[in-house]
Amino acid sequence: MRQFGRNVAHGVAVLALVLVGSAQAAQAQSGAKAATTATDPAPVKALGSKTAPITVEVFSDFQCPGCKSLYEQTLRPLIENYVLTGQVYLIHRDFPLEQTHRYARLAARYANAAARLGKFERVATAIYARQQDWSVDGNVDAAVASVLTPAEMKKVREWVAQPAQLDLSIDQDVRLGGRVPVRSTPTMIVTHRGTTYPLPPGGVNYSLLRQFLEELLRR
Amino acid sequence: MAPSKFDSRAARMLMLLGRVGLGAVFLYAAYTKLRVPWAIFAMSINSYQILPEPLVIFIARVLPWLELVLGALLIVGWQLRYVATATSALLLGFFVIMLRAYFKGLGIDCGCFGVGEALSAQTLARDGILVAVSLALTVAAFLRERNSKLEIRSSTA
Repeated sequence: MRQFGRNVAHGVAVLALVLVGSAQAAQAQSGAKAATTATDPAPVKALGSKTAPITVEVFSDFQCPGCKSLYEQTLRPLIENYVLTGQVYLIHRDFPLEQTHRYARLAARYANAAARLGKFERVATAIYARQQDWSVDGNVDAAVASVLTPAEMKKVREWVAQPAQLDLSIDQDVRLGGRVPVRSTPTMIVTHRGTTYPLPPGGVNYSLLRQFLEELLRR
Repeated sequence: MAPSKFDSRAARMLMLLGRVGLGAVFLYAAYTKLRVPWAIFAMSINSYQILPEPLVIFIARVLPWLELVLGALLIVGWQLRYVATATSALLLGFFVIMLRAYFKGLGIDCGCFGVGEALSAQTLARDGILVAVSLALTVAAFLRERNSKLEIRSSTA
């Protein structure tokens, strides 16, 4: 019994030393994270009400297959069930991985041009739907033209032909992503009542996301 | 009588450091998971693409508490042989699934201490060291128990 008591005392003493050290390290780390959290909304690429209790930011690359499946299998039902009902404010952030995805920036330019017309969502859906086609030949134009009127398409083409302004918006998102930091796409960040929750890459599906959002909404 | 190999002061000190170090790691791992909604850890488990969703949810809800209990028991030193064996089994399990994910090139988070730490050669090396420490602690705990039984027998004979 005395041996057990000594074991406990030694264990607790060593642990106390470890905890003091790790608490100081954790404090330094959380301070750094708070300073780099991306929260400023970009209205033209956002969907839903700014006053929604939850904000979801998605850093994605239009040419990445994981982003396509996240958009089609998770974000579409999220939009239907949470964004349109005023519970989630969804922000799209561009993060084109140009070293591996040759046409990612071009697709982002088209999407950003469409956002100026208030057609971001429709165009993003079309771009993702035809990802396999334009990923081969770079013909993003055809995917976008399938959902816009000729007049809208004319404006979009003009903006894409002189992309400096569009690139400013894309680069701003990339800089924000660098501060988060985004290491891969898609990366999702959820903010609720001032607390930011980065979600693990590759593990988000709609069912788990729904349970997570429900828990936040119950708080 | 001279102290046996597993009863010397140095050996006791090493065991103390080993079990408290492992215990602290487990407590910290539990804390990083329990401070956020359980679904975030579920997403981390899901990213390994091994388990069906009901099992993912079950593990996400149970594992952090198991880590908390094991961490506390390691620090207290109660029933060290069994606690160290359970810890080794758990760490070996983590190590195997992390290796699998790494070599499959899944590009996911480790999920060991919350979100934000990519699964990498460094995280694998760290987990490997934890496995080694835990196995050494398990072996030492069993040997010490055997030695103390032998001592009792020889002193009563």
